[in-house]
Amino acid sequence: MTASIGRMWAIALNTFREAARIRVLYGILILVVGANLLAIVLGEMSISQSARVARDIGLAGISLFGALTAIYLGVALLYGEIQRRTIYAIISKPLARWEFVVGKYAGMALVLSALVGLFAGAMLALLGLQDVAITAAVGQAIALAWMEVLVVAATAVFFSSFSSPFLSGIFTLALWAIGRVTPELRAAASQSEAAWIRSTAKVALNIVPDLHLFSISGSAVDGSVVSVHGSFVSWGYVSVAAAHGALWIAALLVAACAIFRKRDFV
Amino acid sequence: MSSVIAVRDLAKTYRTPFRRKKVEALRGVSFTVERGEVFGFLGPNGAGKTTTIRCLMGLCAITGGSAEILGAPVPSRAARQRLGFLPEQPYFYDYLTVGELLDLGGRLFGLSRADRKRKADALIDRVGLGHARSQALKKFSKGMLQRAGLALALVNDPELIVLDEPMSGLDPIGRKEVRDLILEQRDAGRSVFFSSHILSDVESICDRVAICIGGIIKDVGRPRDLVDATPHGTEVLLRLADDAPVAVVEALSARAQTARRSPGQLLLTLPAGTDVDELVAFAREQDARLIAVTPRHETLEDVFLRRVEDAKP
Repeated sequence: MTASIGRMWAIALNTFREAARIRVLYGILILVVGANLLAIVLGEMSISQSARVARDIGLAGISLFGALTAIYLGVALLYGEIQRRTIYAIISKPLARWEFVVGKYAGMALVLSALVGLFAGAMLALLGLQDVAITAAVGQAIALAWMEVLVVAATAVFFSSFSSPFLSGIFTLALWAIGRVTPELRAAASQSEAAWIRSTAKVALNIVPDLHLFSISGSAVDGSVVSVHGSFVSWGYVSVAAAHGALWIAALLVAACAIFRKRDFV
Repeated sequence: MSSVIAVRDLAKTYRTPFRRKKVEALRGVSFTVERGEVFGFLGPNGAGKTTTIRCLMGLCAITGGSAEILGAPVPSRAARQRLGFLPEQPYFYDYLTVGELLDLGGRLFGLSRADRKRKADALIDRVGLGHARSQALKKFSKGMLQRAGLALALVNDPELIVLDEPMSGLDPIGRKEVRDLILEQRDAGRSVFFSSHILSDVESICDRVAICIGGIIKDVGRPRDLVDATPHGTEVLLRLADDAPVAVVEALSARAQTARRSPGQLLLTLPAGTDVDELVAFAREQDARLIAVTPRHETLEDVFLRRVEDAKP
C-alpha cells in the first residue's frame, strides 16, 4: 500500500510540475484578480451595495474560473500523456493503470486547490481593502466552490479516459451546465404531462453530479432561502455536500480507471 | 539457460477506429530470449516488431497466444519491476531535466531518495549527458533524448532490458555508443532484447536474432546459423589503367555477374562455380593486375532481404 501511494505521489508531483508550467493558468489568475478589481469599481457605483457586489463577483470568479480551469486541466493532462506518447515510458514501469489515473487526478487536484486558494486569497485581500466583513459564510461558499471544482475535474478525467480532448471538453462543460441547474430541470420535468419525459429526466438527473449543491446561495434549503450575504448554510451542510462530492469523485475515478485499464496504447 | 522472454503464438488484432476493419498486426509470433543473451528482433517497417514489444510491456492487450516475461505472464507488474524499457523514439516530459526524469523513474520503482540520487548521477555520466544535467529535455537533440531514455531504462538495475529501435535516428558515433552499452549490459549478466532494422549492428552484437515479417516469425537463430556458409560467388578486384581500352573493360565485365569501375580499378562479382583462374589469366593478358580475390558469403542482410522478398504476395 505504501509503495502504491509512493507511485501515485510520484505521478501527482509530476502532474503538478507539468501544470505549474501551463501559462494559461497564470492568465486565468490575472483574470480572477481583474474580476475582483472590477467588483470594487462596480461596488463603488452601486450605493450601499459594494460589499454584496464584491462578494458575489469574487465568489462567482472562483466558481466559474475554477470550473473552467478544472475542465481544461482534466481534459489536457490525461489525454496529453497519450498524445505526446510520454505514457509509454511511464505505464511500462511497475505502475498499475489505476495508480496512474488516480495520481494524475491527485496532481490536478493539488493544482486546482492551489489555484482556488490563490483566487480566494485575492478575493479576501480585496474584500479586506474595502473593509467588507469576511464572514463564515464566505469561507463556506469558498469551500463549496472548491469541492465543485474537484468534482468537475473528476468528470473531465472520466471523459478524457476514452474520448478526445474536444469531446471531453464539450461533455464536461455540458454536464457542468446541467449539474448547476438540476432543481430547475427537475421542476420542469415534473410538470411535463408525458410520463416518459418525467422518468427519463429522473434517471438523467440521477447520473449527473448535482453541482447545484455547491452553488447554493440564493436558493432554498430546508424551506428557507440562504444567502452568502445573510443567513447561509451550516458547516453540517458543507460537510454533507463535500461527502456527496467525494462520492461523485470516487465513482467517476473508478469508472475512469476501469476504462483506462482496457485501453490499448498503440 | 532459462528464458527471460517466452512468446508462443502471440496474436494481436486491431479494429480501425471508424470502419472497424480488422487488422492482424501479429499472426502467431513465437520465440524465446534466454538469460544473458543479446537478442535482435528484426523486421521491415510494419512487420509487427513494435506491436510485439508493446504487448510484452503491457501497453496493449494480447488477443491470442501467450507471453511470459521473467517467468510471469504478461502483463505483470512484478516482471516490470525487474526490467528496463526504452520505447521507440522516446518522448518525455519536456520541462524536466534528465536528473528529474530519472528521479521520477526511480520513484516509480520505489527507490529511496539516496539511491535515486546516486543512480541518476552515475547513469547521467554513463550515457554522456553530464554536460546537459541542468538542461530541460525540450532542448535535447534526438540522440540526447535516446540516451536519456537509455538511462531511464537502466535506473532500476534491470535483469532484462527491452529496447525498441535504440539506434534509430542516431549518428554513427551514437550507434556505436549504444552498441557498446548493450554489450556492457550483457557482460554484466543482463539480457537484452532489442528491435532494429540496422542489420550490420544486429549482426555484430547479437547472440541470436528473430526475423519478423507480416506479423509472423520467419527465422530464429544465431546469425551465423541463419546464413548459408557456402561461398555464393567470388569478388575479383583488378588494377586497370585509367586509359585502358573500353573493349578490354567490356570483355572483362562480360565474364562477370556485375562489374563496377572506379578510378584505376575494376571490381567483378562472379557467380558460384565460375573458373576464377581462367578469368584472372584472361585479365593478365589484358594488362590488368590482380589486387584481391575474395569469396563472397551470404550476410544477414541477404537472408533478411530474401525473407522479405519471399513474403511478398
